Amino acid sequence: MSDLLFFIEVSLAGLGSGALLSLTALAFVLIYKATRVINLAVGETLMMGGYFFFALAAGMSLPVWVAIPLAIAGGGLIGAIVERGIIRRMLGESPISVFMVTVGLGSVLVGLVEFIWGTDPRSLPDFMGSAPIFLGEVYVSRKIAISFVVAAVVIAIFLILFRYWRGGVALRATATDQAAAYSCGINVPGVFSLAWIIGCGTAAGAGMLLGQIGGIAPTMGAFGLSALVVVIVGGLDSVAGALIAGLFIGLVEAWTGTYLGGEYKLVFTFGILILMLMIRPYGLFGTTEIERL
Amino acid sequence: MSGITKRTLLALAASSALAFSAPAFAQDKEDIVIGGSIPLTGVFAFAGVAIEAGIQDYLKILNEQGGIDGRQVRLAYEDTGYQVDQSVAVFNKLTSQNENMHLYYGDSTAFSRTINPELIRRNAMIMAGASFASEINDPENFPYQFIAGPDYSEMFSILLEYIAKEKPGARIVTVNSDSEFGRDPIESTRARAAELGLEIVEEIITPPGAVDVSTEVLKLRRARPDYTLFHGYILAPLPEFMTQAKQLGLETKFMGTFWSMDSSIWADVGEVADGFMGVMPYRYYYDEEDAPMLDRIRQMRPEYQATGYMQGFLTAMLMTEAAKRTLAAGNELTAENLKASLNTIEDFDTGGIIGVPISVPGNTVPVGRIYQYDAADKRMEPVSDWISLQE
Repeated sequence: MSDLLFFIEVSLAGLGSGALLSLTALAFVLIYKATRVINLAVGETLMMGGYFFFALAAGMSLPVWVAIPLAIAGGGLIGAIVERGIIRRMLGESPISVFMVTVGLGSVLVGLVEFIWGTDPRSLPDFMGSAPIFLGEVYVSRKIAISFVVAAVVIAIFLILFRYWRGGVALRATATDQAAAYSCGINVPGVFSLAWIIGCGTAAGAGMLLGQIGGIAPTMGAFGLSALVVVIVGGLDSVAGALIAGLFIGLVEAWTGTYLGGEYKLVFTFGILILMLMIRPYGLFGTTEIERL
Repeated sequence: MSGITKRTLLALAASSALAFSAPAFAQDKEDIVIGGSIPLTGVFAFAGVAIEAGIQDYLKILNEQGGIDGRQVRLAYEDTGYQVDQSVAVFNKLTSQNENMHLYYGDSTAFSRTINPELIRRNAMIMAGASFASEINDPENFPYQFIAGPDYSEMFSILLEYIAKEKPGARIVTVNSDSEFGRDPIESTRARAAELGLEIVEEIITPPGAVDVSTEVLKLRRARPDYTLFHGYILAPLPEFMTQAKQLGLETKFMGTFWSMDSSIWADVGEVADGFMGVMPYRYYYDEEDAPMLDRIRQMRPEYQATGYMQGFLTAMLMTEAAKRTLAAGNELTAENLKASLNTIEDFDTGGIIGVPISVPGNTVPVGRIYQYDAADKRMEPVSDWISLQE
């Protein structure tokens, strides 16, 4: 096998895993964009999505096409409950307080999973099939290819919605200036709820894709940390930034892992994070505004 | 005259003597305590829950038989969340609350290393735990610790001996997580493979918590190994590795070490798990070979018990055996005496928990067996005899 072919395969694998990062990063962006809250429990919401799917598809033996939307809805429900029950009550509190609430929320969700499903790692019922995909001579992992397509479609839909849908425009307006949005008759609390529901639903969807690849465990929320790197690099309030930074980080990790060794992957990823915070702390595509906590 | 007869006086005197002597008597027969920093939550909770059950069950059996020299043995433990600072805090708390704590179960390599100077200073207890780290297998630097099984380097030696016998000159790829746990046997494996005439054609390292392994599988395809040896993982990302390797038509056989050998974690993986092999120091709950202790376990717990259970069970057995031998020799339960007694264990019958009589010549029990997963039966089946590195 030629080195070029190998390089192409490695790069495609990197783009695929980068797409998963982008999808998870999208959950951070959607919530931050509307509410200015950095939800550190995105990783744990992603984990809940995996467990919801497990409970529905394996526990209750529901068909996959029923279990998938229900699991996403379950993620959205978490978002709704958290927003109405906790976050809205914290309006006006300092950002660090809200930030810490989401850290605590993550721990609560992990505890909930350990209490209900136990601590063993588990595998999800397969819904992606196992036939390999070859683009000419180039091999691409089936699950990674499907994840890439799903992430690309979802992100494209969000980009379109933000531009043309009334709810999307309301969300952008709220993100730009809450008072002005109120004065224009926009239901700002409703927009907050919507952002949390969609953000957490997206995270739950990413959790199912991730669970298809690596199984589920109460510790899988750690994936959210990698996605946080992506949003900081791409810009906390930029959907396109999440996409581009996710693919970029995915590529960098694939190349360093292959040509330098797996032990260098995180060194490079977090090296990029530090570099970005030093030279462009609002990210590649984020609004030029620095919020100090 | 008060009406007190001589007989009454004698009875009073006797009962008073008994009453006053009672505390001394009770002190002689105080419980022996096994302390435990056990991870019941966090990343290692799946093991901690099983380990605690295994220890408790062995102590129940032991206490029903009269304990150790008439003294009951109990487990005093707390959850650590698999955090070293918490493990140390639990150790300090339990040792201050329990006077007769002579045995201890620790939850991690980091804790074993951290607490080692304190164990030496106290000279009051021996310790084993969930760590099979090779560095603990050093009686000089870890004089009061032991491992109730082979260390990770010895596990790899057992795997390599099996491979050398099955396919001399085999090509091997090692896949290790980039963690202390994962990196443990890399150096020793290189040396042992060379001794056995096996060729390590690639060493793949994955970042901790890695999920997608597409690029690593591509490296595996380039290397075309006969055997792929995983270490430093529980389940993920092994199934994805195996799925993609099968998609690519690789013929390599996948093997793992103790913590990825529990059959229940493979049960949901399905057909792709079929044929996964690895080293296992203990028998499985469902093994059908003659094993009275397994029969007893199955009576106590009708449902499957994970491999961590067997590890906890055997650890408690060896610890208490050391205490039993120390007291039988008329010695105090100091760490030095306990460890010396532990090292007198030779050709010891574990009741079938391990399929051959075992010895503890140093800090490990260097015995294991190769098992292979049968996806249809959802069980690990033995594919080798017990391999002892002492021979």
